[in-house]
Amino acid sequence: MNVVFAVKQYISKMIEDSGPGMKVLLMDKETTGIVSMVYTQSEILQKEVYLFERIDSQNREIMKHLKAICFLRPTKNVDYIIQELRRPKYTIYFIYFSNVISKSDVKSLAEADEQEVVAEVQEFYGDYIAVNPHLFSLNILGCCQGRNWDPAQLSRTTQGLTALLLSLKKCPMIRYQLSSEAAKRLAECVKQVITKEYELFEFRRTEVPPLLLILDRCDDAITPLLNQWTYQAMVHELLGINNNRIDLSRVPGISKDLREVVLSAENDEFYANNMYLNFAEIGSNIKNLMEDFQKKKPKEQQKLESIADMKAFVENYPQFKKMSGTVSKHVTVVGELSRLVSERNLLEVSEVEQELACQNDHSSALQNIKRLLQNPKVTEFDAARLVMLYALHYERHSSNSLPGLMMDLRNKGVSEKYRKLVSAVVEYGGKRVRGSDLFSPKDAVAITKQFLKGLKGVENVYTQHQPFLHETLDHLIKGRLKENLYPYLGPSTLRDRPQDIIVFVIGGATYEEALTVYNLNRTTPGVRIVLGGTTVHNTKSFLEEVLASGLHSRSKESSQVTSRSASRR
Amino acid sequence: MRTCPGTNSAVRSHLSDFKKHRAARIDHYVVEVNKLIIRLEKLTAFDRTNTESAKIRAIEKSVVPWVNDQDVPFCPDCGNKFSIRNRRHHCRLCGSIMCKKCMELISLPLANKLTSASKESLSTHTSPSQSPNSVHGSRRGSISSMSSVSSVLDEKDDDRIRCCTHCKDTLLKREQQIDEKEHTPDIVKLYEKLRLCMEKVDQKAPEYIRMAASLNAGETTYSLEHASDLRVEVQKVYELIDALSKKILTLGLNQDPPPHPSNLRLQRMIRYSATLFVQEKLLGLMSLPTKEQFEELKKKRKEEMERKRAVERQAALESQRRLEERQSGLASRAANGEVASLRRGPAPLRKAEGWLPLSGGQGQSEDSDPLLQQIHNITSFIRQAKAAGRMDEVRTLQENLRQLQDEYDQQQTEKAIELSRRQAEEEDLQREQLQMLRERELEREREQFRVASLHTRTRSLDFREIGPFQLEPSREPRTHLAYALDLGSSPVPSSTAPKTPSLSSTQPTRVWSGPPAVGQERLPQSSMPQQHEGPSLNPFDEEDLSSPMEEATTGPPAAGVSLDPSARILKEYNPFEEEDEEEEAVAGNPFIQPDSPAPNPFSEEDEHPQQRLSSPLVPGNPFEEPTCINPFEMDSDSGPEAEEPIEEELLLQQIDNIKAYIFDAKQCGRLDEVEVLTENLRELKHTLAKQKGGTD
Repeated sequence: MNVVFAVKQYISKMIEDSGPGMKVLLMDKETTGIVSMVYTQSEILQKEVYLFERIDSQNREIMKHLKAICFLRPTKNVDYIIQELRRPKYTIYFIYFSNVISKSDVKSLAEADEQEVVAEVQEFYGDYIAVNPHLFSLNILGCCQGRNWDPAQLSRTTQGLTALLLSLKKCPMIRYQLSSEAAKRLAECVKQVITKEYELFEFRRTEVPPLLLILDRCDDAITPLLNQWTYQAMVHELLGINNNRIDLSRVPGISKDLREVVLSAENDEFYANNMYLNFAEIGSNIKNLMEDFQKKKPKEQQKLESIADMKAFVENYPQFKKMSGTVSKHVTVVGELSRLVSERNLLEVSEVEQELACQNDHSSALQNIKRLLQNPKVTEFDAARLVMLYALHYERHSSNSLPGLMMDLRNKGVSEKYRKLVSAVVEYGGKRVRGSDLFSPKDAVAITKQFLKGLKGVENVYTQHQPFLHETLDHLIKGRLKENLYPYLGPSTLRDRPQDIIVFVIGGATYEEALTVYNLNRTTPGVRIVLGGTTVHNTKSFLEEVLASGLHSRSKESSQVTSRSASRR
Repeated sequence: MRTCPGTNSAVRSHLSDFKKHRAARIDHYVVEVNKLIIRLEKLTAFDRTNTESAKIRAIEKSVVPWVNDQDVPFCPDCGNKFSIRNRRHHCRLCGSIMCKKCMELISLPLANKLTSASKESLSTHTSPSQSPNSVHGSRRGSISSMSSVSSVLDEKDDDRIRCCTHCKDTLLKREQQIDEKEHTPDIVKLYEKLRLCMEKVDQKAPEYIRMAASLNAGETTYSLEHASDLRVEVQKVYELIDALSKKILTLGLNQDPPPHPSNLRLQRMIRYSATLFVQEKLLGLMSLPTKEQFEELKKKRKEEMERKRAVERQAALESQRRLEERQSGLASRAANGEVASLRRGPAPLRKAEGWLPLSGGQGQSEDSDPLLQQIHNITSFIRQAKAAGRMDEVRTLQENLRQLQDEYDQQQTEKAIELSRRQAEEEDLQREQLQMLRERELEREREQFRVASLHTRTRSLDFREIGPFQLEPSREPRTHLAYALDLGSSPVPSSTAPKTPSLSSTQPTRVWSGPPAVGQERLPQSSMPQQHEGPSLNPFDEEDLSSPMEEATTGPPAAGVSLDPSARILKEYNPFEEEDEEEEAVAGNPFIQPDSPAPNPFSEEDEHPQQRLSSPLVPGNPFEEPTCINPFEMDSDSGPEAEEPIEEELLLQQIDNIKAYIFDAKQCGRLDEVEVLTENLRELKHTLAKQKGGTD
């Protein structure tokens, strides 16, 4: 149940099977991303893969001394590869499709291969972005129109999810969130593929069958709206992670080679060790890293006078070079994070966010929001998200003062785009659409827990929030997840507690949820969870998702909806 | 569902399906190509230049029926209407019609190339490369023909063949295939070399790292020189990799049309990955210690082992003491209260006696244990393998050896346990027998002592023989190491309280496994590897070294005192220090090393007047025998002491040994040593001859 490993294995196998010799890797846009998540350039170079080309690039030279490994999604790429085979540019072709390919496509390929250059045609199901060992994404932003799937995205998601199941060799039972039509639809599509390709899904039966749980983001719109304080999540929230890449070009005074950095736990030890730690811990760790670096910095560096000396030095100390790269990268990233934190007054904002998410004191929350809205350091983005959190939490509170806050936003000069988003978010993830109660835990244990929490005070006010997913998974693991809220697809149900769990969130997961899953995996022996989403969100991308769902078009009535439902109650 | 081996994920192959579809298609394609080539062959089979155009046309028409002019009013390729000005042209290969503009031409060289290649591919697969310019030639031809619009009506094609674009296309593809088969670009050649070098590094580097790690740890398994040679070799390969990749990087940079950017990218990437490779691997090549450092390391390691052993010895000593107490409780018969004294009772009389019996047993039971035989064989295999530099084998052999030794230990222990059960019953009987035998045996032992000490195999057998008589029941089950330690420790109690019996009881064990341990106990310099080797071929020197000490402690007080200083000198003097310099080269061969230490202590010892006085009966031979410097000098020295003619067997043995040394020395290239040894050998043979004459 390690998705990074699974994809990496596929790629390694492709490269291995092509034998010795110089190789070129022919990919499409998506598979380029898939490969880049699991292999670094230097790693893949060692396997004699020297060139990376896009199948749709027209400017490729005929290089008959290269072997071509084609890793493609089975889309219109089939046409490209057919053209390629008619006029082959490389000696021999090893063709791998990332998903199921039709028989007719195989036939057209075969007929195009008049020069007999194809040595392999296979399906290798690496059809998803492996972010962390327990986290995958499909990089789809805006998967739904209204409450329903965008058909193209549904098919892509189905492909991605079935590929994941195949790569992990799981033929699961499926549960879905009843309140979401999209979840049900996806569950049915996955089931359909499993039925159609039953031969592929014939795995050795395990005692307890694996479980696929399909959730919808709209059940928990809170989590993606919160500021984050663990390294990976925080970087994504404040800087944005895109296929492990971080764009630092907007950082003031950034040096040229740090405009874009890669944060990959696979080959960055510091990142691997710190990605789940909180900001304060990272601060001290980065200090240690610096000190370590200073120590390791060879003494003879003073002697490096000429350029030749320095070049020789760098060539002789690749580890040093690697380390200096790591150091400067993390120092820059952490430096930028802390700059943003103080510039945007994020500590204070986050405290109120956490209060909004975790506590039920309406008046204090309202007061705090009002206070922050007056603070000129608080950006319109953060102001809007505070109001969004308020709107979600106190949607039906008797003394709901959302209109007043909206006025405050307007007075603060927050643009209409954000103000509109407040109602759109409520529309997207408000009480009306939620299948479960996000804010007030009902079972006795949870209430006691919260009570105790209140007594003890919290260890860290900035990380009190537990994503709703935690509760869902906790119940699932204990066999207490309600079947009336999360029914099984089909007649059979799981009698034992599940062991291998794949959770998929339509509308995108978050890194906070990934951390939750990571901790659950660590603390629950015998249970292995993999989390996936149509994408991995930060607040910004989540708001884009909300926008793309088109729900904001109805936003004008949304306040009426709220009040109407409030009055109905 | 199929799983690809090596991954834990599902895969599905469409290859068989693909091949089926392709095969159907390819058959068709191949038939098409072959048809064209056969026709081309017919068209070029006659001498075109000396044939009239009308006749050519007739032949051409016979090859493929031409399409009727009337049937084709428009050019099928460009759609232009045929007229007087836009005349029809026939493809000579398929008979179809096209206009002048759409017509292609095949030059004769190209035609020849295509036909000859296919002919050859029928007979052999290696075809000599035809003129590679034919493509350009043919293209040029077609261009020029197009420009010469003023072509005559019955234009004669004496050096080219007209054809349609489709046929030309097919033929050009075919030509390309032929070219690719023959042509390997420079980059491929260089790249192949580069990969070979990398493979070599992957092969050699781990071996070197193993060596360097071992040497840096002060072990003497590998030779320092050998390692540094290997280092140089590996470094040379690195240089080659660097040079090759640089060459690849600059390939074609000076060509006029600069190579395609992706070619350049490829070259850069190869260079980059080669640099990465060198950086990564070169960094892993730890440096070797210098000779001085190596000495230092060796010493340190020895000291450490020493310390470890001392701790273990302490433990063994304690357990021994406990055993002895129990034994004395059990058997109260002997005056000294020791079971072992049964046999060894008179031992205190003569210092050498303590370990004579062990050797005495030797000759009698040489081949009795197949395990020992095996151990012996393997030891010699190891030596040979080392000499041949096959380190892999050495490792496996050493592993085998260790297993064998373990096995043997266990076997011995079991045997001893069994024997000890019977011991009680036999004891009385034995005592009587022994009493009778003792006198006789002592005599014999004295003679055989030398033989024994020279003889490896027998030494261990010895133990077996003694087992029934000597080993106390409680002692047997102990491990090999314990024995060794036991032995090492034994002198302590015996010297403090001159209880010789205890010593004698340990002696059998010492013979079996002990020599190195004893040697080390006393002389920290003695080499460790020996112990690992177990009963090595010639651990005599070790034994020799230890023997003086043994004597010193066990012998009569006078001798002991007199010898003590010498023993101490040995300890402090550390004769190995100098030797090591020489030995370094042979470090891979632990058998040689022990040889050299011997001379120093002994030359000293021999000069020691007191020793000679106190121990006239001590056979000196064991000490000198293994010394490769000059055993014979020693021999003559000790000869008078022993006051006995050298046994023939002993001499023969020695000759064998020396021969082995010579072999070793030759293997290691130490010619000076070879000389000395040969000298020794000659002397030895001489002595043998003389003795034979004497005894006869």
